[in-house]
Amino acid sequence: MISEQLLTRIKPFIDLQQPQSYYLILSSKTSSQMHLPQDVFYQEGVLTFKNKQPVTFYMIYDGQEDLHMDMHFQAYCQVDLIEIKLLSSQCHLYKTMRLDEGATVHAFSENLSQSSQSHEDVYLEAYASCQCGYSELSDDAFEGVYHFYLDGVEASAKVRTAILAKDRESKHYEILIQHNQPMTHGQMDNYGVVKDQAKLVIDGIGTITKGQHGSAAHQTNKIMMFDESCQACANPYLYIDDYDVQASHAAAVGKMDEEHLYYLQSRGLSKKQAMQLITYGYLMPVVEVIDNEMMKKHFEESLSKVGA
Amino acid sequence: MSTLKIENLHVEVGEKEILKGLNLEIHTGEVHAIMGPNGNGKSTLLSTIMGHPKYKVTNGKITLDGQDVLAMSVDERARAGLFLGMQYPQEIPGITNSDFLRAAINAKREEPISLFKFIRMLDKNIEELGMDENLAHRYLNEGFSGGEKKRNEILQMKLLQPRFALLDEIDSGLDVDALRVVAEAINSMRSDDFGCVMVSHYERMFELVQPTHVHVLVQGQIVMSGGYELIEKIDQEGYEWVKELGYEIEQNERQPIILEACGKKGQ
Repeated sequence: MISEQLLTRIKPFIDLQQPQSYYLILSSKTSSQMHLPQDVFYQEGVLTFKNKQPVTFYMIYDGQEDLHMDMHFQAYCQVDLIEIKLLSSQCHLYKTMRLDEGATVHAFSENLSQSSQSHEDVYLEAYASCQCGYSELSDDAFEGVYHFYLDGVEASAKVRTAILAKDRESKHYEILIQHNQPMTHGQMDNYGVVKDQAKLVIDGIGTITKGQHGSAAHQTNKIMMFDESCQACANPYLYIDDYDVQASHAAAVGKMDEEHLYYLQSRGLSKKQAMQLITYGYLMPVVEVIDNEMMKKHFEESLSKVGA
Repeated sequence: MSTLKIENLHVEVGEKEILKGLNLEIHTGEVHAIMGPNGNGKSTLLSTIMGHPKYKVTNGKITLDGQDVLAMSVDERARAGLFLGMQYPQEIPGITNSDFLRAAINAKREEPISLFKFIRMLDKNIEELGMDENLAHRYLNEGFSGGEKKRNEILQMKLLQPRFALLDEIDSGLDVDALRVVAEAINSMRSDDFGCVMVSHYERMFELVQPTHVHVLVQGQIVMSGGYELIEKIDQEGYEWVKELGYEIEQNERQPIILEACGKKGQ
């Protein structure tokens, strides 16, 4: 049985009563609840997608202990994956995703965990494509390690993060896209807002190994600071071992742009409204990886936490 | 009738004094043209009225119907009915035009505008200004051409219905057709409840939007005021004649470009 408490927490995202709501709730190694669509299987800790038709799937991590999850997306399947992380304090999530040739996954991850960690490895075969949006507005410390390995020609990964660190929270994210085959494409855009006495560190890493000609590695890391007392660090790394590639990186840590504020205020918006709108514009694009009104609405509401 | 009054205005940017005791009075129902060579304080005047933090007022007064404008924050000035159409509008990623415009309209209202009414009003104005239909969903000025940005300023002016609009080189970056559309939009705003101050270098703009008053701003002061004939004079003669009034014109000296390495050295 799914507990009342859990039902209340996931209510803004999914109605489990709906017959089209496909989900898997992982609570421990041995305990899971699920409603799987045709051609999707869960056996021995591996969730396998063999669907011929595009599928929207909800993955809920309700961990009182460490959780392990392996997902396997077979060739040319298309999946919109919505993940909700409800990890308890000190729990770790270990997750792998394997995308076979030509598989397309759009994943949006909503993090509502307590102080915990998530280690995620995503492996992409030839022509596979993965778009991931990480909404990281949780109310506690967090460590996120998200690695993407482009192991087949023309594989592509596009990652967007929206992070808020507030109060005394300390958050650290490491996002890696590693190009292990030619003509692979990686792009990451990591956006953060820090306030109060919080600390945020973002490490963005793009690696192109030798021989991976025609590949492109692009990244942007931006952190906006609201208060003098917060700490922020955006570290871009590019390790390039081939000549015929495109690569770019940008990192910026700073206050909100005064000219932007002035422009909005000159149209009658109060400073507070202007700051809210700018923050909204800064973090909101993370929800664009999927087309899901409920997630969008929830994210919008969560943004009030920024309290600019 | 409303009055925007500027008295003995002194303004500094950094340590440099740009406006040196400027006086100007504008009433609703009037359109004032301000002309003058580059770097003499035209944009500074408009930005100071709007309240840009970079400009420091060291002396003088700005009042709107007797209210102290300098004591107001930027957004209070906007809500009091001042509008600045900027020379270089900001690009703000992530905020859609429609979210921004609706927030701006609501800032002036007690009850928020209904979505239906807003969309109808927006669509009508976008069509009149000949703008991109997708404009509402695009991010604020991001990736807009120079002309699109200027039209977006005019769109905002039309939606916000200010009492006084300050337009800073609103014609730069516009092709002839766009210029006509923008001029029509400004003319359509003209009424006894609307006053306008326009800065432009070109007679063409003032042919299309005929000013009631024309001022020449040199060295941080208005050195001459008159009617349309001043524009014609400047168009034909430039600003050389201002020197006869006893004013120096500050201009960057034009230096000839010297080609060195590839020039005719040694001949």
